[in-house]
Amino acid sequence: MFIETAGPATGVAPAGLAGLPVNRRPKRRAVSPYLYILPAVVLLLVWTYWPLGQTVNLSFNDWNLIPTKPKQYVDVQKYAKVLSLPELHQALLNTGVYILAFLGISVALPLVFALLSRKVQGKARTAYQALIFVPFLITPVASSAVWRWLFAPEGGTIPAIAAALGAPMGNVFRNPDSSMMAVIVIVGWQMLGFGVLVVSAGLAGISPDYAAAASIDGASGRQITWRIIIPLLSPSLVFLSLMTILLSAQWTYPIIDLVTQGGPGNSSTNIYYLLYQFGFRNFDAGLSSAAGTLFFLGFGLIALVFVELSERLSFYDN
Amino acid sequence: MAFITIAPPAQPGSSDVALSAPTKVSGPFSSLRSVPSHILLIALAIVSIFPIYWMFVTAFRPPSDALSTNPLPGPLSLENFQYVLKTIPIAGMLANTFGMALALAVSQLLVAILASYGFARWDFVGKKALYLLFVGSWLVPFQVTMIPNYLLVSQMGLLNTITGVVIPQLCSAFAVMMLRQHLEAFPKDLLDAGQMDGRSSWRTLWEVVVPNLRPALAALGIMLFISAWNEYLWPSLIMQKSDALIQVGIRGFLGAEGNNWGAIMAASSLACLPIFLIYIFLQRYVVDAFVRSGLK
Repeated sequence: MFIETAGPATGVAPAGLAGLPVNRRPKRRAVSPYLYILPAVVLLLVWTYWPLGQTVNLSFNDWNLIPTKPKQYVDVQKYAKVLSLPELHQALLNTGVYILAFLGISVALPLVFALLSRKVQGKARTAYQALIFVPFLITPVASSAVWRWLFAPEGGTIPAIAAALGAPMGNVFRNPDSSMMAVIVIVGWQMLGFGVLVVSAGLAGISPDYAAAASIDGASGRQITWRIIIPLLSPSLVFLSLMTILLSAQWTYPIIDLVTQGGPGNSSTNIYYLLYQFGFRNFDAGLSSAAGTLFFLGFGLIALVFVELSERLSFYDN
Repeated sequence: MAFITIAPPAQPGSSDVALSAPTKVSGPFSSLRSVPSHILLIALAIVSIFPIYWMFVTAFRPPSDALSTNPLPGPLSLENFQYVLKTIPIAGMLANTFGMALALAVSQLLVAILASYGFARWDFVGKKALYLLFVGSWLVPFQVTMIPNYLLVSQMGLLNTITGVVIPQLCSAFAVMMLRQHLEAFPKDLLDAGQMDGRSSWRTLWEVVVPNLRPALAALGIMLFISAWNEYLWPSLIMQKSDALIQVGIRGFLGAEGNNWGAIMAASSLACLPIFLIYIFLQRYVVDAFVRSGLK
């Protein structure tokens, strides 16, 4: 339905454009650019920005999501309540741990793998990369099912191996000490291949001339890696790190919902799963929105700081 | 949703260079020295592939062998698949999910083609501010806006419908940003030539720009399709009382079947099958699109 609204561009553009001198970019007060971007902007406003405003609005109200029940304005009570909840502290702590774990799995580890495997090139490399990338494409219901099977106390491969090695393990998902680790393993398994491919592609984009020139000047392999390769890779690494920090909580969400439901006892929950529980389990729209507004502001601040830092730290070869 | 891009991708022409290997260093010892690297990559590939291999092996075992730890497939059986087909309408779920993902990929692509063309071709008042709307949207996690979105879909009477799943995601800000970068790199001479021929901007878009961007559009379209297929959060909220989509339908099946691992693995492998087929036949496009989103 929205696509058709762009139709009028056909009617407006020909008359306006035909008489123009050949410019690199026609610069004038035309309606056509606005018509082209209209569908996208309308959709963004309706489904992203207006709801964002609504979330802020709901955060000052007490409401249980039942349309017939009126909302009740409660000022900042919901913020005060959510900040005092131990669940929130646990979820924030967990989210921090998830982020650190994925900085290791989808940034640091891929960097090490990509650097160590530089010597493998050509068809062999393409084949390895094709295999390593597969887990990233697995749909969350399937990956959670497969790993529940691999970790199953009866007949599961991993407990069988652990028992054979003399370290029997119970049900990892039901143990508060291991539930988070299990979520990290599943999501890490999916993200590792993505990290390896991004870093490898970044590496392949670096001209071998730099290393060759440095080596002629007498630089050692270690010096070349630390002084030339890694600085030139920094845009890829900064990108991966920013994505990991901003999106870790979203990557883990489906697996948490499908495998542990945040438990046992909130041991594996994260901030976004908490929003879901507040909103769709406890039907406390105000509480969920207050927490959501805080997370939005927090991540926005982190992203701004990060972009600012990366502008200063990133090293480009052009 | 899952992907953001903060820096322009490689130019269309140079993308092959970035992903393909540089010329091989030849020499008598080069193959020997690369042995540790091969071992490392083989280990990594095994870790990546084993769970998927195990999923298929378990699915194809006779149900009585489900707990077998034999790493090899052994006698093949389709019983688990027959059980899944009999128990849940999985063919319908797959067809519905396919339609949903296709509708999303096509609409996101169309909206993005129009918007990125508008941004790349003209300078206009408010361009920066409007573009900021797209860049800024990846700072708004879906979980933060899910309650108002849910209410809106509910008011439209679209709960438990596939339309309700599709409608909030018709525009992908990520696709707009990716395509804009492609279009900025598009040779201006071609646009000008089109204009001198007296083509309208609309006809230039469809007769000059789109045909020349076909590889990039194909890669992006495949990526949008895969992302839509694998999307979990929104379908799980909207389809609480319907199992028309694979993500929610299989979730119910997992809960109901408990430890019937053979059947669960059969259902899971069916849920991944379309994406695997795409990956096998269009691997280059898939890797290219996902990785380019992370290139400098």
